[in-house]
Amino acid sequence: MEIEIQIVPEPIAGKISLLPVGTPGAWLEFRGVVRDEENGRKISALEYEAYPEMARREIQRLLEEISSRHPCLAVKVIHRVGIIPVGETAVYAGVAASHRGEAIALLTEFMNQLKQDVPIWKRRALPAVAANVNLRTSSSGQSADSHRRLQKALSLDEALVEIRSRCRPLPAVRASLEESFGRVLRETICASEDFPDGDRSTRDGYAVLQNDDSETFRVVDTLHAADWKPRQLKTGEAARVATGASLPCDNLRVVMQENVECTGDQVKILRRESATNVRRRGEEMRAGEAVLQPGVRLGEGALALLASVGCTRPLVGPRLRVCHFTTGDEIVSPDRKPRPGQIRDSNSILIRGLLQKFQCDVIQSHLPEDFEVAKRQIGNRQSMIDDADLLLISGGASVGEKDFTRPLLEWLGFEDVFSRVNIRPGAPLIFGIHGGSSVPASQLVGSLAPPGKMRIAFGLPGNPLSHFVCFHLFVAAALARLAGGEGPAFRRGTLAVKLEDGPNPRETLWPARCEGSGGKLELTPLPWNSSGDLTCLAETNALIRVPVNRSSIETGAEADFLPIIIE
Amino acid sequence: MRVLFFAQLKDATGCDSIELAPPSSLNTEQLWTALLKQFPALAAHRAHVRLSRNWEYAAPDALFSHDDEVALIPPVSGG
Repeated sequence: MEIEIQIVPEPIAGKISLLPVGTPGAWLEFRGVVRDEENGRKISALEYEAYPEMARREIQRLLEEISSRHPCLAVKVIHRVGIIPVGETAVYAGVAASHRGEAIALLTEFMNQLKQDVPIWKRRALPAVAANVNLRTSSSGQSADSHRRLQKALSLDEALVEIRSRCRPLPAVRASLEESFGRVLRETICASEDFPDGDRSTRDGYAVLQNDDSETFRVVDTLHAADWKPRQLKTGEAARVATGASLPCDNLRVVMQENVECTGDQVKILRRESATNVRRRGEEMRAGEAVLQPGVRLGEGALALLASVGCTRPLVGPRLRVCHFTTGDEIVSPDRKPRPGQIRDSNSILIRGLLQKFQCDVIQSHLPEDFEVAKRQIGNRQSMIDDADLLLISGGASVGEKDFTRPLLEWLGFEDVFSRVNIRPGAPLIFGIHGGSSVPASQLVGSLAPPGKMRIAFGLPGNPLSHFVCFHLFVAAALARLAGGEGPAFRRGTLAVKLEDGPNPRETLWPARCEGSGGKLELTPLPWNSSGDLTCLAETNALIRVPVNRSSIETGAEADFLPIIIE
Repeated sequence: MRVLFFAQLKDATGCDSIELAPPSSLNTEQLWTALLKQFPALAAHRAHVRLSRNWEYAAPDALFSHDDEVALIPPVSGG
């Protein structure tokens, strides 16, 4: 059988000639064409990638193997790679055979095998985009209505409502205790049995009947922590017990060894205590009692509790995957000396540190300011973006920054929910959402989220302080929701030092230091000059909420603040 | 020994190929150990990845030597 195989980056021609061989009675052609939909999403093109040398060999091997069962005269296979627009041919197969039966059988079997063994991949799907979306002309293609919506600045509370209502908890998964650290519990955990499972001594000493008034006792048994030796003590009898030992019967108390005199197997009580020195059965938890509720973030203490009740694979929020891009041509790596006009990248480590508290897998990369170059670069990381639950884009400090992030998110298929919040620092914050494709049901446990993977994106204003504020206010709220928890909440504190500010039409989040003092939370505002100010960040552990047009908050007055802790 | 990465494995490793210089031939387990040491992110993919040696799928007992071209083949999706 004649075989011809091509792996090519060019379009496959409309008419293909097959090598003339013998006198075929059947001539079968197949074209696999790129459809306008991939996983329920409208697309404009698919990108294919191949391992060409091996792909050719595998195709050859498959065709030889199949033709031994379905003899044909000639086969020609062409697979295109690279970006293939909707409607164009991705794969062509032409078969010549003496009879149609063999040709059809060979083609069917070959196409099935191709999809299993030949090293060719759909690298990514390029989403269908509205026309005219590119750098610095982003608003030209938008309707007047969406333009208005995007221009409108939301208040802080409105923005939080949008985020909380749009971010649904991602499907929960079962994970080991070790993997569950820092994740949100998604089920109620009940005690499997009484804790402790019987009366236990809290002291080294002698167990005697609670109402036994004898002066001296005969020691009839010795019980260590791991011993389980039930017996009914009688009046005048004692059992030597270690701390933590299970007591041999009910209604006992333990006399500390410091309070007895011991001679052979006789003990004499020197001083009687009022305490029984016994932890009673079920004192900590009763079998079936709920010990942890859904929504709790699992710290080491909660994990220890899970271990103690034998829950080794709790249902928890998934480990979140975050893709973070920095942008701006003025950004240089922290290990380099910036030339005039350049600044070192502090946002990457800031974001990485902030995300670490949320148990995320983080991928970071830098994008050049040129939109077309950035798109190409993203193309190489497309599967990362597709897999990510959250996409963060840090804008550069340049003028073009605002124009860059929105078209980029649009190009990636995100719906723009809002793009301005009336706060400082951090007003130009973009929040987008993407419906996404479905996740295999077999990988999921629980059903809090409806099928269909949801992804969210934030475009963060480039300045470090804006980053810090927007992360704690908004990104943290979104991450907490995705994980199945509640997210940060404002608390009340008292100003230890007067906060002075000029009246501002935007709500201000003022960096501060919060200390506990005499049962109160005292707030000391930290000096900051601009949203690029990093010096105050090293100390900040609270953000004071300064209402619109409020120029000062007096010493001793109360104020809302956001604690910088993860709950 | 040249080791190639394709599709999502390029994302996981951040490159499309590396050179390994093992002192002697490696079996499958030894090869994976060497790769995971350099790219821990590959661990998540290992269960779904097939290995090829000189443009053919490698048998489980294959030995990979210094002049081989090895590739990590994630689940394919051509056609």
